[in-house]
Amino acid sequence: MNRTLLIATLMAALVAGTLLALNMDRAGSTASAAAPRVATVLPEPQALPEFSLTDHTGTERDRSFLEGQWNLVFFGFTHCPDICPTTLATLSSARKELLEANAGTLPRIVLVSVDPERDTPEKLAEYINYFGEGNLALTGPEAAIRELTEPLFVYFNRVPLENGSYTVDHSSVVLLIDPEGRFHSLFSGPHNVADYVHDLPIVTSRT
Amino acid sequence: MRSLLLLIALCLSSACGPADDSPLVVYGLEVTPPRPGMNMSAGYFEIHNNTGKAISITRAESPQFDAVELHETTTVDGVSRMRPVDALVIAPGTTLKLERGGKHLMLMRPVEEPLETVELRLYDNDTLLLSVNTRVASD
Repeated sequence: MNRTLLIATLMAALVAGTLLALNMDRAGSTASAAAPRVATVLPEPQALPEFSLTDHTGTERDRSFLEGQWNLVFFGFTHCPDICPTTLATLSSARKELLEANAGTLPRIVLVSVDPERDTPEKLAEYINYFGEGNLALTGPEAAIRELTEPLFVYFNRVPLENGSYTVDHSSVVLLIDPEGRFHSLFSGPHNVADYVHDLPIVTSRT
Repeated sequence: MRSLLLLIALCLSSACGPADDSPLVVYGLEVTPPRPGMNMSAGYFEIHNNTGKAISITRAESPQFDAVELHETTTVDGVSRMRPVDALVIAPGTTLKLERGGKHLMLMRPVEEPLETVELRLYDNDTLLLSVNTRVASD
């Protein structure tokens, strides 16, 4: 009797353990497939601060212009030969791959200049169009730019150089803004195409 | 010495690799095209020091650009900073990488348009270490 009970108990434990393992594996696989690799999704999207900036066509834009589509927003400047064009080229390549894969939502690329003295709308127009069609670049007085960046904890600071010129230290983050104009997710970098191609369809499906 | 430098220069194509036993070997050289409105390019490559002594690159120049500077981008706590550096030092028997988001050459104000090929000259003060040519990369 004890032997029968023991065997029955072991069998029940074996079945229960197998079912549990299967369920855990299924749940784990689902989570893994749906989890972004690098993007951080905010628990609740945050409304962007009010701002008024000039785009690369010379038109005044406020935050409502970011509504109606997803936007990948990077803060940089045209006199930055390394990290800025590299990041913008990465975003552009990711968009291209997503388009070719017919992978759904294609966010617009937005460059917010952190060098308003040198980045006129005309210069930004030449620059941003190099990275693809439909991109947006914004500039304006430094104070107007800071109305957007500071509430988002995006940093920039002008630094004089010995040769009489200057550079601008700046946050390397890319923000994903949702179609309601809210700060939805962020990519903190380093930025690479494969991560964006993997993560964008996942995070843009979470609204 | 001059013939050695010429030999190095001739070898500075993408065919050269770290197995090359010249004193200095450059491979993977890339010069980005000047983006419209940007008026500058970046130079990236790897350089291997086959000698038993450290070699310093203290300056660079190019006939195709008004100025070339040695720079380094660092990203700390999410903030990117780009600064000129005094020298690129290649320790004995090691390879130094000039790469995106790290050490690189900043090539300013191109004097040719369109810019198709670029010659880079790397110096230790007044001593020419090597000269290297490449086609401008396409994005």
